[in-house]
Amino acid sequence: MDAKIAQAQALFEKFKSCYSRKDFDTCSTLLSELKVKLTEFQGLPPLFQQTQTAVSELLLARSIFEHAVVLSILTEDQEAFERHFLQLKPYYSDIRHLVPSSEEEYPILGLNLLRLLVQNRIAEFHTELELLSPEALKNPCIRYAVELEQSFMEGAYNRVLTARQSVPHETYEYFMDLLAKTVRDEIAGCSEKAYDYFSISDAKKMLMFSSDEELLTYVEEEHPDWQIRDGCIHFQRAKEMVHREIPSLQLINQTLGYARELERIV
Amino acid sequence: MAVMQDVSMKESTTEAADSEHSSVSSPVLQQLKVVVSQVERGVAMKEMRLISRALRLMMSVRRRFRGPTLAAFIKHVLPVGSDTLSRLLPFFCKDEKDMEVDSTSSTLHVASHKSNLLPELEVLCYLVVLVYLVDQKQYQEAKACSGFAIARLKMLNRRSVDVIASRIFFYYSLAYEKTDSLVEIRSTLLALHRTATLRRDELGQETLLNLLLRNYLHYNLYDQAEKLRSKTQQLDTHSNQQLCRYLFYLGKIRTIQLEYTDAKDSLLQAARKAPAKARGFHIQCSKWAAIVRLLLGEIPERTTFMQPGMKKALKPYFELTNAVRIGDLSLFHMAAEKHSSVFHADRTHNLIVRLRHNVIRTGLRNISISYSRISLADIAAKLRLNSDTAVADAESIVAKAVRDGGIEASIDHANGWMQSRETGDIYSSNEPQLAFHSRIAFCLNTHNEAVRALRFPPNAHKEELESAEKRRERQQQEQELAKHIAEEDEGDF
Repeated sequence: MDAKIAQAQALFEKFKSCYSRKDFDTCSTLLSELKVKLTEFQGLPPLFQQTQTAVSELLLARSIFEHAVVLSILTEDQEAFERHFLQLKPYYSDIRHLVPSSEEEYPILGLNLLRLLVQNRIAEFHTELELLSPEALKNPCIRYAVELEQSFMEGAYNRVLTARQSVPHETYEYFMDLLAKTVRDEIAGCSEKAYDYFSISDAKKMLMFSSDEELLTYVEEEHPDWQIRDGCIHFQRAKEMVHREIPSLQLINQTLGYARELERIV
Repeated sequence: MAVMQDVSMKESTTEAADSEHSSVSSPVLQQLKVVVSQVERGVAMKEMRLISRALRLMMSVRRRFRGPTLAAFIKHVLPVGSDTLSRLLPFFCKDEKDMEVDSTSSTLHVASHKSNLLPELEVLCYLVVLVYLVDQKQYQEAKACSGFAIARLKMLNRRSVDVIASRIFFYYSLAYEKTDSLVEIRSTLLALHRTATLRRDELGQETLLNLLLRNYLHYNLYDQAEKLRSKTQQLDTHSNQQLCRYLFYLGKIRTIQLEYTDAKDSLLQAARKAPAKARGFHIQCSKWAAIVRLLLGEIPERTTFMQPGMKKALKPYFELTNAVRIGDLSLFHMAAEKHSSVFHADRTHNLIVRLRHNVIRTGLRNISISYSRISLADIAAKLRLNSDTAVADAESIVAKAVRDGGIEASIDHANGWMQSRETGDIYSSNEPQLAFHSRIAFCLNTHNEAVRALRFPPNAHKEELESAEKRRERQQQEQELAKHIAEEDEGDF
């Protein structure tokens, strides 16, 4: 068993050297080899057998998955991120009493929160949040994600965008860029409802475009129903005013239902 | 009948033994004997209701349980030399060493009657001891005792045990919860739930499901809890208490997952169905329901916080509600800060963080109702948005509120003001009709459930049959009579 660990350790060292050279393709292939190796260890989830080498196995596996998570961000692969994070999660929750906690824990948990925010999975975001201890919530990496969510829900989009400058960890930038796009869509959606019109220069500022052309192509692609005339963007509110009619069929159904029920009672 | 005789014999033979010791607590012992005979009757008639009634009777005297009485009781019920007796007695003999010596001799002569002991009674003994240990706060002992009980239960497969077994599961989990080691029994509970499902033990299923949910929620594992809940079969509930608990857990899960409307329904229903005596449960329900309603943008009535006996416990939530109602951020922060220890203890802290957004929304709605036109800078000042870009913040907050339907307004960016729109007459919409429908549906549903919950005496339909027979006879007579009359009529012509 010790030999196996040493083998995996050596492979992991190789992975880390590739990783620091930013040779991501080799990293991915090495990672899949490593994962195959991990399946042979008895001390890992879901078996959690109390073998003599369990602690070193757990530490190694946790470190591998931590690297895998960060790697998937560097290669901009969100699905791989989710997969690896889910594999990593038991190491943070179920074996707290066996091994010392990892330094990478909070940054990675924060990253996951950010990912859920970007993918607009707010319910899961809050479910994850409940798992965190009060100490964890004080950590800058976690706080960052929590405050972003608050600003996002309030509609204070400026704060979301300025937060881009103060990322607590360099890996966060990838998701912040994605978030910027989500924010732009949100702003566009809100503007459509809240404004009658606004000028192109204002629109450019609000939607964070550097040139008129970018703005126009965005409008054309995403919101073809916006009208541009006299240097202003007009949102057609009149179109939304739907003609109100009496939902007769539904009413008939309901009344018949009442009649049936009443008959049953009498 | 044989069982009944057995009971009476037992009682007569052991009375002498009982009077020797613990004459002080004999009423309790008598009561427990009634419980035993009721259980036996229930088993003989295969009537679960009798067994649960017997358990209710037992619970009514649990406050008066004393070690010697219970020791006498289990010796009375269990045969000498049985495994169960030897496992249970040490729980009492620890403090009273001399007990065993004098009582073994007195119970020897009744042992012959007990050779065909009902498993239900054996399990009942476990339950009685377990309840006693939990009440005495001897949780380590309770853990050991419940461990034996679970091991024994795994060997039994009788539907009449189910009622007692479900109570044992409950105290099993309680003992572990009190010693903060719930995580250890999770896999046992899952295994038991599986077994209960396979054996169609519906009471066991719902009890165990609730215990598992409680187990997960204890560690804030909302994800696992929801997955388990959504993947188990939904059954007609057998026990009102279990239904209340289930609804409460469901409400909690849904609150965390932002399904506030459903969460509110479950929580209010749980509070409504819970027995009036369960005050702790009511308080918990009220706390969560208050937060959920705030998150929904509703303001709970003042009376919810003024219910007798709950006023003190709900005070932090009352202050919070006040802050949200006024829409004042600084007041809200003050209330949240002041009672943060309470909110942490209730584990509602994260929900309260979510409320900030509702405070702003309410404040904004108040503004949009009071002013027909107001500048964005004034909005920022009124909402106390203290940041460098307060006006821009206010603008985007208003825009989002408009989109989410919180307020009816439009923004004029060039002039930097918000213009409120006339709110439509609510009676010209379908709103009243919908409210009317939901109320009618609720009433009809209540009526139907009440009808379904009616119980009839077991042999009532047989009497009906007899009367049907009689009716047939009567009809026959009538027909004959009619024939006679007809013949007579014919004869007249």
